[in-house]
Amino acid sequence: MTAPQGPIATSGEGAGGVPIPPSAVVAPAGRWYRFPSGASLLGRTVYLVLLTFLTAIFLYPFLWAVSASLKPREEVFDNKLIPRHWQPSNYLDVFRGVPDIATGAPFERWLFNSLYIGVLAAVTVTISSAIVAFAFAYFRFPLRNFLFACVLATMMLPGAVTMIPVYLIWNKIHLTGTQYPLWASNLFASAFYIFLLRQFFLGIPREMFEASRMDGDSYLTMFWRIALPLAKPALIVTAVLEFKASWTDLTKPLIYLRDDNQFTIPRGIYNLLGLLGPSAGGHGDYQIVIAGTVLATIPMIIIFFLGQRYFIEGIATQGRKG
Amino acid sequence: MATVTATVPGPRARARHWFAGFAQRETWAAFAFLSPWLFGFFVFTAGPMIASLILSFSDYSVIQTTHNVGWDNYHHLVHDPKVRSAMKTTLIYTVMVVPAHVVLSLGLAMVLARIGRLAGVFRTIFYLPVMTPAVAVGVLYLLLFNGDHGLINSGLGLVGIHGPFWETDPHWVKPSLVIMHLWKVGASVVILLAALMAVPQHLYEASAMDGAGKWRRFWDVTVPMISPALFFIIIINTIAALQTFDEVYTAFFNASTPFGTDATLFYSIYLFQEAFVNFHMGYASALAWGLFLVIAVVTAIQVYGSRRFVYYEGDKR
Amino acid sequence: MQGWRKSLAFASLIAALGVLAFAATLASAHSTTTKAGSLNIMGFGTGDDVAESRAAIATKAAGATVNRPSGGFNDQQFLAAVASGNPPDLVYLDRQKVGTYAAKGAFVPLTSCIKSQKISTKQYRIPGLNEVTYKGQIYGIPEFYDVRTILVDNNVLDQAGVKLSGLDTSNWPRLLATAKKLVKIENGKVTRIGFDPKIPEFFPLWAKANGVDILSKDGLHPHLNDPRAVAALQFAVSLINAQGGWDKFKSFRDTWDFFGSNNEIAADQVGAFPMEQWYYNVLAGSSPKVHITALQFRNKKRQPINYETGSAWAIPKGSKNPQAACTWMKSMTSVSTWLAAAKNRAQIRKAKNQPYTGISTGNALADDAIYKQTYTSINPFFDQTVKKVLDVQRFSFNVPASPASNEFRTAWNDAINRVLAGQQTAKAALDQAQKESVAAIKAATK
Repeated sequence: MTAPQGPIATSGEGAGGVPIPPSAVVAPAGRWYRFPSGASLLGRTVYLVLLTFLTAIFLYPFLWAVSASLKPREEVFDNKLIPRHWQPSNYLDVFRGVPDIATGAPFERWLFNSLYIGVLAAVTVTISSAIVAFAFAYFRFPLRNFLFACVLATMMLPGAVTMIPVYLIWNKIHLTGTQYPLWASNLFASAFYIFLLRQFFLGIPREMFEASRMDGDSYLTMFWRIALPLAKPALIVTAVLEFKASWTDLTKPLIYLRDDNQFTIPRGIYNLLGLLGPSAGGHGDYQIVIAGTVLATIPMIIIFFLGQRYFIEGIATQGRKG
Repeated sequence: MATVTATVPGPRARARHWFAGFAQRETWAAFAFLSPWLFGFFVFTAGPMIASLILSFSDYSVIQTTHNVGWDNYHHLVHDPKVRSAMKTTLIYTVMVVPAHVVLSLGLAMVLARIGRLAGVFRTIFYLPVMTPAVAVGVLYLLLFNGDHGLINSGLGLVGIHGPFWETDPHWVKPSLVIMHLWKVGASVVILLAALMAVPQHLYEASAMDGAGKWRRFWDVTVPMISPALFFIIIINTIAALQTFDEVYTAFFNASTPFGTDATLFYSIYLFQEAFVNFHMGYASALAWGLFLVIAVVTAIQVYGSRRFVYYEGDKR
Repeated sequence: MQGWRKSLAFASLIAALGVLAFAATLASAHSTTTKAGSLNIMGFGTGDDVAESRAAIATKAAGATVNRPSGGFNDQQFLAAVASGNPPDLVYLDRQKVGTYAAKGAFVPLTSCIKSQKISTKQYRIPGLNEVTYKGQIYGIPEFYDVRTILVDNNVLDQAGVKLSGLDTSNWPRLLATAKKLVKIENGKVTRIGFDPKIPEFFPLWAKANGVDILSKDGLHPHLNDPRAVAALQFAVSLINAQGGWDKFKSFRDTWDFFGSNNEIAADQVGAFPMEQWYYNVLAGSSPKVHITALQFRNKKRQPINYETGSAWAIPKGSKNPQAACTWMKSMTSVSTWLAAAKNRAQIRKAKNQPYTGISTGNALADDAIYKQTYTSINPFFDQTVKKVLDVQRFSFNVPASPASNEFRTAWNDAINRVLAGQQTAKAALDQAQKESVAAIKAATK
């Protein structure tokens, strides 16, 4: 049997005063390993070795990108992890442009755009999807299963064919050429997150809601005071995933944005790629593109790291079941 | 909650009961909660979906005038050898990648759940590939999977295995794409980890007290408790796998390395080409609805299967 | 959380969202609408010095406010714009796509533009013009001219004791023998390629060398399974098979540090291969000390041939400012503009101690002037390549404009890939490609 490890777990009290046992970072039964009980040290070592090995594999491409971003043009693809010659000025070049390629990119502008669009997209979709997901999880009403099937169905049609009709809709309300289409449809929730959050809401025992209803709470209060806090990890996951999706999306900016200053990072890098390719007259300065890419990934890493730390704490202090 | 009579109600009574549901306060509240999605659904989803359905019966090409062509597109679809080949490729890939993805992400999540504080760092590391843009991944694919000189085969060579030509041998291309995809399990790991950490400790303790070993505890406690999340991961990844586009496109179909072959022509790629390279939007719409059908059937089977296997805590429905 | 704190948090969230949304409005205030006197160009984002210096001249000539969102031409983007009834006024794209868009009525013929602006079409090289001519009407103004010559690594030839004449592409058996002499295979891995035929990309070149055009001049009748085309493909594949087979061949080729200082020429990893002319400029920059020779590609009759491609300007249907578009096109591709750009580039490169190998413009008069007035010697090897590139231009041929150019290209590309992967014989693959192309063109001309 394993002892609880990780953040200190505290008992909490759920609605209705029902004591809830602490849910520490549990140690689920091992899948592949059967160790005699006294061998936790061996178990731990194996885990760490395994993790380190996997980390190397998972981390390698990113390390390669960072390494390439610090190399001069001639060495970018030489397959060495440690650059032979260091050229950190590549990062400056992202902003000021390669000398004979006329302009520098408004990279800071792109960063800012990606940031606030990402935040808008993430926050709106989390709130709206939570509301809708809760409805599917808690309420009993006619057409519920049919409508949920519709939710699922929206994920099944490849985006390529709805792209033009959706573009025409935005065009009708004169919002093409602006940044609104990149996030505003998230005001109306998104099937993926509705599905995800519904699963989490379904894990909440009905008694908690019954108790709240008996106390005379409205549905909204119940949603706000019970459902949301208990689903905080899932909400954070939703926000982080959507932020990442918005951050890395290229298609929408490609067809909706017209002005350089409106671009998001992927759209900007797509540009840079086209400019720096040798047949376009550039020298194949891929190291600048890669430096831009690395720069672009850093805010995401920060947000992810913060987000997942937050929902760890969320779990530990909530101490809830389900 | 509406009262239910003791005897089994007849069809008229059931219908009445169903319609009566609309009068319930709960129903109105539900629809109030659903309203954001309902609005968006009708405008941004249902509308375009119906539009694409209508277009599938035409020869829409965006640029030229459109004519109704009846069932021609669907007729062509059924007889198009590329469709058959693309669908086969996509299905084989899906069958390979989904179980691998689920197993790997669950395994990783479980390992991460055990290591406490360090989990945060590792979680970020495993999620990093998900955040790495396609550009780098495409380039790296060529570097890693090169038959004679790539890192993977070099590594295999160290243990005496002569690695195949991943990129050019039609039999090995799909496995190489599966491996490349598995690199991005981070997103699922995050979700499963959240689910794992929400499993109450006391259930394990109770089970252990009943004398259950690790394996038993896994199957009796862990899996049922995280089954909603597992179900989600399976469905989402199946749908995504059947629609695979980005990764394969960047590796095989981008402008500088046009080495797409039959073995790498996934359904979504064929669809994209028909739509935006050959300007057969009408036919592409028909292709899309063909894929929709396949996905709907597969998902329906999975949902039906879930009734038996997925356990919801709040499940007295 | 206590009641009032919660409300405060909630209110702050709403406020924050509001601020963000407001910021969104501000940032989005750059949406462009076409006014009279403005020119929206798609596919010609901020480019290099040659593009920019010409653009400055053309902007002045056109006299309109020019909007050039960055990025190359993207079919999705263009289609979306057309669908919304708001096409750009001018587009810049690969010449090979012009035929298809023209056939669909997405571009307007440039006859009136050429007349009114008095554009002298004689200055443009004929194959370049042919590429943008469909059903007898010109739909584009050509810009740039990719020239394909054989890049030879002198060191490799010397090491293997092979003479330049061994690489004469008019003599296929001898070429095959040369390739076998130059290739190096050690431990089952290819360590040096003798002669890379560059298929599928340069298949039109090999077919033409064997005396057949893969597409008829009117762009409507493919000849992919003509016995001469099949023979050309078979020969090119045999070259690869004699040098390790496709798997090993490609594996090795993928390891080349193409743009780096340890590139395949500097590292003597290849004997020769046909290549576009811009690569000489890359080499001059990354490894100026290499000993290379540029050879013309010869057909079976020993005549030099060159497979050319490039970009073009075209005016979409529904363009709101075709006048300015026309003026722009004329200015961008005129001799004086090209010359100014070339002088500018030569200066910049000289100041930075970087090589300058001229520009291949697609405008015969401009090419001549540029070479005479702006080219200064680099070293005997590169000088020879620059001269050769200029010389072979008059032997160029093009793949004609076709109403289904993408599908046509995909058909023979896929066919050749299937042959390389060992899934079909050359004849069967090209038969299939022929069938597919004929069907595609038929459907596109209904």
